[in-house]
Amino acid sequence: MTTEPVLRPAAEQQYAAELAALAAADDRPRPPRWRMSPQAVVTYVLGGTLADGTVITPKYVGDRRLVEVAVGTLVTDRALLLVGVPGTAKSWLSEHIAAAVSGNSMLVVQGTAGTGEDQVRYGWNYARLIAEGPSEAAVVASPVMTGMREGAVVRVEELTRMPAEVQDSFITILSEKTLPIPELGIQVQAVPGFTVIATANDRDRGVNQMSSALARRFNTVVLPPPATEDDEVEIVSARAAQLGRALQLPAEPPALEEVRRVVRIFRELRNGSTVDGRTQLKKPSGSLSTAEAISVVTSGMALAGHFGSGTITADELASGLLGAVVKDRVSDTAAWQEYLEAVVKERAEWRDLYRACQDLVG
Amino acid sequence: MARDQPLPTRVTLLGIRHHGPGSARMVAAALAAVRPEVVLIEGPPEGDALLPHVPDLTPPVALLLHDEAEPARAAFWPFAEFSPEWRAMTWAHANGVPVRFFDLPAAASLDDPEPESPDDEPKAAVDPLGTLARAAGFDDPERWWEDVVEHHTDPRDLAEAVAEAMGALREEFADQVDARTLRREAAMRQNVRQALKDVEGPIAVVAGAWHVPALRTLPPASVDAAALKGLPRRKVSGTWVPWSHGRLAASSGYGAGVASPGWYAHLWECAERGDAVPRWFAKACAVLRAEDLPASTASAVEAVRLADALAAMRGRPSPGLSEVMEAALAVLCGGDATPLRLVHEQLVVGERLGEVGEDVPTSPLAADLARLQRRLRMPAGAAVKQVRFDLRKDTDRERSKLLRRLEVLDVPWGTPDTTRTLGTFAEAWQLQWRPEFAVALAVAARHGTTVEAAARTVLITRAAAATRVVDAAEALGQAVGCEIPEAVAASRQALDRCAAAATDALELLSALPDLATTVRYGSVRGTDPELLRVALHGLLARGAVGLPLACRGVDEDTAERAVRAVEGADDAVRLAADDEHRDTWQRALRALVAMPDAHGLPTGRATRLLWETGALDSDEVATRLHRAVSLAAGATAFVAGFLRGSAALLTADPRLFGVVDEWLTGLSGADFAAALPLLRRAVGEFSPAERRMLGDRVKGSAAGGAVAAGDWDEELAARLVGHVRDLLGAGA
Repeated sequence: MTTEPVLRPAAEQQYAAELAALAAADDRPRPPRWRMSPQAVVTYVLGGTLADGTVITPKYVGDRRLVEVAVGTLVTDRALLLVGVPGTAKSWLSEHIAAAVSGNSMLVVQGTAGTGEDQVRYGWNYARLIAEGPSEAAVVASPVMTGMREGAVVRVEELTRMPAEVQDSFITILSEKTLPIPELGIQVQAVPGFTVIATANDRDRGVNQMSSALARRFNTVVLPPPATEDDEVEIVSARAAQLGRALQLPAEPPALEEVRRVVRIFRELRNGSTVDGRTQLKKPSGSLSTAEAISVVTSGMALAGHFGSGTITADELASGLLGAVVKDRVSDTAAWQEYLEAVVKERAEWRDLYRACQDLVG
Repeated sequence: MARDQPLPTRVTLLGIRHHGPGSARMVAAALAAVRPEVVLIEGPPEGDALLPHVPDLTPPVALLLHDEAEPARAAFWPFAEFSPEWRAMTWAHANGVPVRFFDLPAAASLDDPEPESPDDEPKAAVDPLGTLARAAGFDDPERWWEDVVEHHTDPRDLAEAVAEAMGALREEFADQVDARTLRREAAMRQNVRQALKDVEGPIAVVAGAWHVPALRTLPPASVDAAALKGLPRRKVSGTWVPWSHGRLAASSGYGAGVASPGWYAHLWECAERGDAVPRWFAKACAVLRAEDLPASTASAVEAVRLADALAAMRGRPSPGLSEVMEAALAVLCGGDATPLRLVHEQLVVGERLGEVGEDVPTSPLAADLARLQRRLRMPAGAAVKQVRFDLRKDTDRERSKLLRRLEVLDVPWGTPDTTRTLGTFAEAWQLQWRPEFAVALAVAARHGTTVEAAARTVLITRAAAATRVVDAAEALGQAVGCEIPEAVAASRQALDRCAAAATDALELLSALPDLATTVRYGSVRGTDPELLRVALHGLLARGAVGLPLACRGVDEDTAERAVRAVEGADDAVRLAADDEHRDTWQRALRALVAMPDAHGLPTGRATRLLWETGALDSDEVATRLHRAVSLAAGATAFVAGFLRGSAALLTADPRLFGVVDEWLTGLSGADFAAALPLLRRAVGEFSPAERRMLGDRVKGSAAGGAVAAGDWDEELAARLVGHVRDLLGAGA
């Protein structure tokens, strides 16, 4: 490849070799227009070793059953809705499943408050429309229309951020599998292989609740935060190291112990009890996702690299932690204080962190 | 020397999985094909006497056998509609064939220490077919049975196949064959020999698959007889008790429980029609609709498709429980685990309750109570009787314990007489036995076989269900009264849990006084007071953190609550807290006092309490009083909070009197006039007698009483006396 490296290559580009090896080794039946069998898709997502020795790296660390249900949904040509608190790898999973199933993860509709119907259905090339009148050539296909024509997986990011009426334009598409163009009196009919993976988060404010008519057309898979501390430590340290390289931070990747501390604090506050289950805690209002844990660690790395010793210490973590935990000044501050007093203070080897946090809280 | 004889061919060995619908089908089919003259079922022979009751029973029911002398030594043998043993019993009854239990007598098996520990993985010996299924990569043994085993058509062939598999499995897991199993199998063989003597025709034997290899050959009878020598003998009595699917799901009686009895019942019912999956989703939709949750037929169709797709992806011939549950979660419940829990409770576990005919003997709980009544010489009487217990005496303490435990079981035989305070070691009770208690006892029987065990279950459940700190604290108090350590531990945990969830500091603090009393008197009750003290400290620490905020910007009612909570908590702290937590409490009070916009009532109280402990000196208090008065709003509240309920103290305590005195005398004329109405209202709560006493006290000090020390400003005092006289004169 001679092209300029991009900041973030798409999944099917980055893992092209793995996808090719999986497709080659796959001898199980494939649904129409799928690049590989459902079992191979699951292997691609969760990782494994193929018969020829090719190692497939795990893309998603978590419950195998969830991934199976997600892929199984696509087999039955139902649309899939991935729901979860922010930072639970919804988009990440959707991208990789689309890349494995259709070899193309770039048919994306990004949901925002400003998303219009033409981004979901189709738009017009107005120059052509005025010059030639309505014709098929003047239609600008949306990613959804392209996916229907090609029989590919279409991703809809942040479905619930779209205005409700735009969301509802998916109802016909998902139940009838056709997209009428009344101006031309024709309709685009989806070919087998077309399906939709939508993501939505159920925690953030400023979302438009999905109508139940639309919700009925999706199978829903809820992605939970990582199940065990070790899983989460693995995710956080791997991603923080990757990001640190990408951003060329001058700091060393953090010691596993520091990552473990951050992850443990996040998990304990998220679950409302300490790991040993002996102390109950108040839960702060924020989501305290794995993604936020990653950002606490990377910002700690940035602080340590540019202003500190180059190695992460409690001081660098403390400010990030405070920012991640305290979203609501009154209630979260109380929860954080209680946590500091009841848990952090009691752990002898966390004394440095306790002092650093206390200094910040004042 | 006699050699092992093969089992005569007229004996059909049916190796089963307890509570396995697949095995139940096999047994039903095999019995119909073999038509035995006697049926032997794994179970204690003492239960034979209860077998005639079978037609009066609606499963799930359990055979309950217990030692007559010691009802706590009891065991349940539960049977569900889909239990192979139950099928064998009902078949035998329908066909008029004698049926017997042929296991080791309960007299011997009750003697064994509880073999199961719930943390252990199910052992091969307990669920051998499950072990085979897991080895084959199935998570649900019943689906393995269906998919792999049941395409055999002749049930006798099937039994033969199971026997072969078990032979191999027993070699593999030879280390799990313990002495107890060997003894049981010796007993089984002896009973088979007896049956062979008794009848000429075919015999059917229904036993756990694990035991089949041991029954296929008969060693010389003398060997088995020797193995069974010296078994304990005891009088065992028993009954049938209603059982529930929920209880079947728990480990009990023999072997492991089944995790999904409702699902098995469903499989059993649908086996004939072969529509288990669609019918299950139809039921799930009905469950959800009954709760007003959307569940359309179209969704059920999609759920069936997803379950099929999942089964195909996992390489399984048909969807099992895990596939249907995952499909239900994704399609019917929108990924939300809460409605799925409904489905789980109502369908997977099922809420079916068995029924037992009326002619059933008494429950072991009732037997235990009767025994306790005899032992403690407390006969049940219909007339009201007053009793007094001295808790330092063992018998009295046992009696009090019994009454408290019964109270927990909704059998209020005794009501504590709270009108008389008898100190920490004496209690007064009123005893009266009412006939309807029998019903309550029967109800409570499902919680345990002894009063203690049942009360323990109830208290632990109650603790687990508690959502408010007060409830948890109450459960703790009861648990301490009942002297059940496990319940004490559980309610302590509940207390922690509620305390963490509690957002209201006042709620936390209100639980303190009762807890402090419990701590104080816990030692009489045999509970380690330290344990309770830790709980008290936990509540105190959390309450203390939240106290200042809880007093900010509140209305009068809340302020009243707050001042009560502060007072109660302060008493509790003095009564039971250690030094470190006294400091914590004092810091909280200081924070409250320092908070500018807190309500005056609790703030005034806190100021007073701090002054009493010497944490604030008189000057600071005077400053606080000045500042409070300078604020137009809330000043009354502050002064009222400061002086509330302390008329007697004010007259008797020269220091307190001095502080108020100093404050009032230090006021400038205008300020004093402004403070006067406040003071009037603050002392308005005192009774006339108290106000008169206070007036006398003021007069006394004016006349040069004990308070006079050091600087004495005659003029100021005279002014004060005049004003206070005016002030108090109105009521005097």
